[in-house]
Amino acid sequence: MRISRRGFLVAGASLPLAGLAGRVMGQTTAGAGASAKGGNLTIGLSSYPPNLQPWVNAGSAAGTMTALIHRGLLSFSADGQIQGELAESWERDGDTGWVFHLREAKFQNGSPVRAEDIKWNLEQVADAKSTAYMRSQFQGVDRIETPDERTVRLIMKEPTVAVPDWLATYFMPMVAPGTLSRDSFAIGAGPFKLKKLERGVSIDLEAFDGFYKPGMPKFETIRVVAYPDENLRVAALQSGDVDLIDYVPWSAMGQIEQDKNLRLDTTLGPYMYLTFNGRTGPFADARVRRAVALAIKRDDIVQSAFFGRGAPLEGLPLQEGTPYFDPVRAHGWRRDLDAAKALLAEAGLSGGFSCTLLSTAQYGMHKNTAEVIQQNLADLNIQVNLHMPDWATRVALGNRGQYEFAVNGTAMESTDPDNLSSVLDDTAAPSFIRSTGITVLGLSTLLHQGRAEFDPEKRRAIYAKVEELVLEQAPMVGLAWRSQGYAMKANLQGFTNIPGPLSFYSATTLENASLA
Amino acid sequence: MEWFVKRLGISVLLVWLVATIVFLAIYLVPGDPAELLLSQGGAAPDPAIVEDLRDQLGLNRPVLEQYLHSMAGLLRGDLGYSMMDGAPIAGEIAIRLPRTLELIGAAALISVLVGVSTGTLAAVGAGGVFDRIASALAGLGLAVPVFVIGTLAVLVFAQSLRLVPAGGFVPFAQDPAQHLTLLLMPAGTIAVGLSAIMFRVTRSAVLEVTVRDYVRTARAKGLSFRRILTRHILRNALIPVVTVLALNLGTLLGGTVLVEYVFNWPGLSGLLVDAVNGRDYPAVVGVVLVISILFVTLNFVVDMLYAVLDPRVRHG
Repeated sequence: MRISRRGFLVAGASLPLAGLAGRVMGQTTAGAGASAKGGNLTIGLSSYPPNLQPWVNAGSAAGTMTALIHRGLLSFSADGQIQGELAESWERDGDTGWVFHLREAKFQNGSPVRAEDIKWNLEQVADAKSTAYMRSQFQGVDRIETPDERTVRLIMKEPTVAVPDWLATYFMPMVAPGTLSRDSFAIGAGPFKLKKLERGVSIDLEAFDGFYKPGMPKFETIRVVAYPDENLRVAALQSGDVDLIDYVPWSAMGQIEQDKNLRLDTTLGPYMYLTFNGRTGPFADARVRRAVALAIKRDDIVQSAFFGRGAPLEGLPLQEGTPYFDPVRAHGWRRDLDAAKALLAEAGLSGGFSCTLLSTAQYGMHKNTAEVIQQNLADLNIQVNLHMPDWATRVALGNRGQYEFAVNGTAMESTDPDNLSSVLDDTAAPSFIRSTGITVLGLSTLLHQGRAEFDPEKRRAIYAKVEELVLEQAPMVGLAWRSQGYAMKANLQGFTNIPGPLSFYSATTLENASLA
Repeated sequence: MEWFVKRLGISVLLVWLVATIVFLAIYLVPGDPAELLLSQGGAAPDPAIVEDLRDQLGLNRPVLEQYLHSMAGLLRGDLGYSMMDGAPIAGEIAIRLPRTLELIGAAALISVLVGVSTGTLAAVGAGGVFDRIASALAGLGLAVPVFVIGTLAVLVFAQSLRLVPAGGFVPFAQDPAQHLTLLLMPAGTIAVGLSAIMFRVTRSAVLEVTVRDYVRTARAKGLSFRRILTRHILRNALIPVVTVLALNLGTLLGGTVLVEYVFNWPGLSGLLVDAVNGRDYPAVVGVVLVISILFVTLNFVVDMLYAVLDPRVRHG
């Protein structure tokens, strides 16, 4: 029997609709233009995309391909702002509505991008049988209206601040209806077309002449080659085999910086943290979790796991420079061994205890982080045994809550604090990225309020409360920011590592890149 | 004939056993393909979506039903489809297997050329300077792990000297010169250890044969040293060399993973490792099955050859 997931994704469900109003946030780059193409770019990618289907979260390699082949309604610009793509502008419409005004654009099969097509895409994502990453978010859509060919009106069931953020991610490409099938990949409206691929090895793209941004893309072709071995990826860049690599290993960043023919572009985006199982055992007690948070030498993690290419994370993963960052709360879990010991004593565990930390030996950063924590917690007489199976097993154990506490690493999907919900919301389904069996009174309500609050001041106040609650109850514990880097030939112009957690969307900027 | 049928039956039984053991083993190991595919990049998929995907992939059916379905497919020669992206497994193996065979073949060729010639020279001048140096180098070649040799090769020849690309693969039909250039480093890396083995086996076999009566007789007949070496010594000494080479080639079939990884050579071993990491059940079963069929076939052919060469085997 053939196992079909692609067909599965094709299934659609209709969504109703309603009204709108608001402020224009988009920019206009109207009209399709002829590309001033030239040159070829070779990218050394850290892995071959396991799946190239749209809307599925198949990791950053697949996301990079999506950013090259597809475009959604919106995207993140090089400086991290939301910008218009297929939608040249957008605005709020009342409490629950959003209106998107489409530009003149074509899919790569030549058909125009119409409001009906956007509606069809959104319906596929929200379909009851869809495997789209944003399915549950877009099941929050009450209805979709298409008053004319260039206008899409999206009415949510509840006020939802993060809709533009969702639509700017590479999880929400808009594809030509009817082009999803098992044996071919969906047709997009992005700057590059899929030319050929050799599964597990490489993917070749060519410029799409009908791309809607005048003069873009600049490259005629892009060849993406998978280099899973990080050292070989760096070697391929240094020897000139490739022009750009992702996931620069921290150990190689220094030597790349020294090489005048190369350029390193890094940002602090992803982060490491601890999750806990609060169903039974010592970690059911918030004081114990907080004691752990206060006992960790985060600089050691940065040194050990990231060769110094990171920064301590002593609070919630809110980026400095964003409206939600608070310089005091950001250090709420700064190491304080006396306070940690006092908390343990208060919890009746001054003599320490023995427990097991789940991590994985498959990835050095997870393994090294776990080893530092093991050493640090010995200061509290907590004897930590390490359990480090392969990644697949670690994910399965995490999802089933079969652990005491665990190391994990992730990145927010955008800078909007609503993304904190993915690691904090205790009403969400069990997952290896969240703690198990820990309920922090009021936290879920605050996250829900934050999601629906448009007033900036009120929203800041809500997330301040969230931060205070999390620092006190420690349902997760931040450990370290890690540097996310791209390295490239010094003459590659126009490519930018988008700051913070948006780093993974950086391939979008390749539409405007060229080799000088 | 009866013996042939019996051996063939045992071979088929072995293949079925391997397929069954691999199927059960991969299902018993924790980890779920649907969960993993949807958890890429540290994401938390909605459990309902995972469950829908499990349904689509047939993972919610009873294990026995999945097993029977898988075995029925294998009987028809259908290895199924990848759970990652729906690619046909048989097609993927058909692409990857020749690359691994080519890599192993090239490594074997280098090893035979280097190991047999140096082993013979060392044996001929046993105890001499060349023998001592070559023996020491062979010891080193055996002691240094293959990934260290590979990494050093990349560092020296690709990064420092920039003589060859750091790694990768280009089809022969697309660019023969580039294809062979890219083959050189991984094949050479495997050949380091294999040459050392060939050297040692050849050296000891030549030394052993050199003192045989028929060699002494050949000398007494006044034959030239070259003729004695090629016609009498090497011919006989090569029998254990070929046996050891064949054994090592069999092991390399599934064991080139580190070299494939270090040099980005998209062969069968890399496919197997990716399949295990992603818990891509059909791919794991398919690849292991193909490797085991090759092994079993190799053994079967060798058994047949033994039987032809020595009739006692048929009655043993």
